[in-house]
Amino acid sequence: MTQFLSLLLNGLSLGAIYALIALGFVIIFKASEVVSFTHGSLLLLGAYSIARLSEPLGFLGAVLVGLVITALAAFLVERFIINRLRGAPVISLAIVTIGVDIILLTELIRRIGPDILNVPHPWGGESVRIGGIGITQNRLIAMIVAGLLIAAFFVAFKYSSWGVAMRASAEDGETAALMGIRQGRVSALAWVVAGVLAGVAALFLVGSPTPGVSSAVYATALRAFPAAILGGLDSTGGALVGGLLIGLAESFAAGYQENLLFLGRGFGEVVPYVVMIAVLLVRPSGLFGTKELTRV
Amino acid sequence: MRTGKALRAGTAVTAAVVVATTAGCSTRAPESSGGGGGEGGAAAGEVLTDVGIEGETIRLGVLTDLTGVFAALGQDITNANQLFWQDNQVCDTYTVELDVQDTGYVPQTGVQLYSGMEPNILAMQQTIGSPINTALAPEYEADQIVNFPSAWARTLTEIPGTGVVGATYDVELANGYAYMFEQGLLAEGDTVGHIYFEGEYGENGLAGSEAVAEERGLTIIPAQIKATDQDMTAQITQFAAAGVDAIALTVAPTQTASAAGVAAAQGLNVPIIGSNPVFAPGLLQGPAAQALKDNLYVASPVSAFDAQPELLEQYQAAYPNVQPSLGVLVGYGMSAIMKQVLDAACENGDLTREGVLNAFNELQDVDTGGLVVPINGFETGVSPSTQSFILRPADVPGGATVVQEAFEGEFAQGLA
Repeated sequence: MTQFLSLLLNGLSLGAIYALIALGFVIIFKASEVVSFTHGSLLLLGAYSIARLSEPLGFLGAVLVGLVITALAAFLVERFIINRLRGAPVISLAIVTIGVDIILLTELIRRIGPDILNVPHPWGGESVRIGGIGITQNRLIAMIVAGLLIAAFFVAFKYSSWGVAMRASAEDGETAALMGIRQGRVSALAWVVAGVLAGVAALFLVGSPTPGVSSAVYATALRAFPAAILGGLDSTGGALVGGLLIGLAESFAAGYQENLLFLGRGFGEVVPYVVMIAVLLVRPSGLFGTKELTRV
Repeated sequence: MRTGKALRAGTAVTAAVVVATTAGCSTRAPESSGGGGGEGGAAAGEVLTDVGIEGETIRLGVLTDLTGVFAALGQDITNANQLFWQDNQVCDTYTVELDVQDTGYVPQTGVQLYSGMEPNILAMQQTIGSPINTALAPEYEADQIVNFPSAWARTLTEIPGTGVVGATYDVELANGYAYMFEQGLLAEGDTVGHIYFEGEYGENGLAGSEAVAEERGLTIIPAQIKATDQDMTAQITQFAAAGVDAIALTVAPTQTASAAGVAAAQGLNVPIIGSNPVFAPGLLQGPAAQALKDNLYVASPVSAFDAQPELLEQYQAAYPNVQPSLGVLVGYGMSAIMKQVLDAACENGDLTREGVLNAFNELQDVDTGGLVVPINGFETGVSPSTQSFILRPADVPGGATVVQEAFEGEFAQGLA
């Protein structure tokens, strides 16, 4: 039972981080109809900036500046590339984001080089025991911060003028434009928010129990992708549920590896994708995605 | 429109010129033999040469990892290779130049880079990573290349000309187990959780665990991961539930930090034994530092800096901004062995690839002055050594100290 609860807690904490990243995908998709593949390198950029700036600026300063850098990078990608290609086929835009991602990633990996960069989280590797279950403080704080951020986002999405404008743009871009909503601004802001969310996710991803900034951080963003897809690429609630589902599935599959031997070793790795495919077979638009209706 | 056409035509011409030039560059020079060029010393004048020697300069290839998962290790091994050849010559005549390329630990990249450097090198000073060595095995064999991998997988000993610098991973880990039994850290019938990378490296390590388990009635709980997996929580949770008495690792440093940190967080206070690539000194700046110092034992083919203070001093003078890892000893040691091979070939009067390969095959009882464990020789399919050092993390340069000098554990002979 302890093992089950421990894996559950670990899965939820991992899922909360995935949810932050997946939410970024979804916001960008809603605002600019682009499936952004730049998220992996944005995540790594956040982690790298925070680690490098920790020494001169201290932890808090590094986190703030790191988040600004990640948001700024996302903003620049939107302004100088996505915005200028408005109207291009969706597939082309997605491929363009892959290109940007590879360029940014290559540069970051070159800069990280042989070092193992550590972010000096004030909570370090300390852990908390709840009953018989241990969880690192880093993951516990990640869960709380992710929860607060996601809640704040939902409130803003529902009540702020930006949220209303974004929902209107996502619903029907042309009509929204006719109503005076500046889609460029909505889209830029969406990229900035997604950048910040990726930065926050990065901050926790490079802490205990996965200490150190390395290129492997990048791979995490790819796992958040199935989370966004299975939740429904245009559903913010779906991103949350999708993230948690993928986190749990991954944790349980790795933890109960011995019982899943008939599926082969290393099955945990493919679980996010298996879950995604299974969900899409039943609900092609994802759990909470909007079904596309075509009137004939 | 016209401009567009002109531009296209221009681009096409430029591309054609580039292709032609590159093709020209990669054409191998006609076979030359009998003397390494004009004013060679006495030795050089009588020595047969073919590829990779110009005048009195020998060119050796290095395929290392400067940007992938083993970047920290790759950088140090390569720097040490460079450092060694700055101060040493072959036959007191030839200086050695290294052609260093970064594979990023991607086999496909390694294969491409090798085909680029092959026409200009005599041998491979270093190829990092079991997957890349395995990918290049057919070419190394066809080209009669002597190669020193910075990897210790058993399959590498099957490649003619490839010299594993120490015991293979299975023997190394078995020596680790032998040390644990000797110290009373492990007892017959205990349970051990083993986290390992998929592929040669990890599975060869697991083979060591399984061989020891069979002899001493241990129960092994294997957990396979990918090199990109960073979070060991699920695996350690599984081990804690099974009540393991020890943890074995054949992974990379980031996973070691995660495993040790999570185990401490879950109150799983058991010894951890790892093969040599699991540790990097950078880990001691991270949050898992104390857990590593408390529980980690590393079986290693090389000693630590406390036994090699002069090398440390020399390295720090040459690379003041690098935090040296034990990869320095690996790199320096493998270059020392390469020197012995090339010296022998030179003395035989044959520095062709074939001559170097023959010298390599004849090499026996290699001593590197305590840098690397004693090497018996390079026999196909046999672990070149049966010995290992045991190291523990500590706040010293290189991040580790020797707690057990090179020794042959009780299971080594059975596996070798």
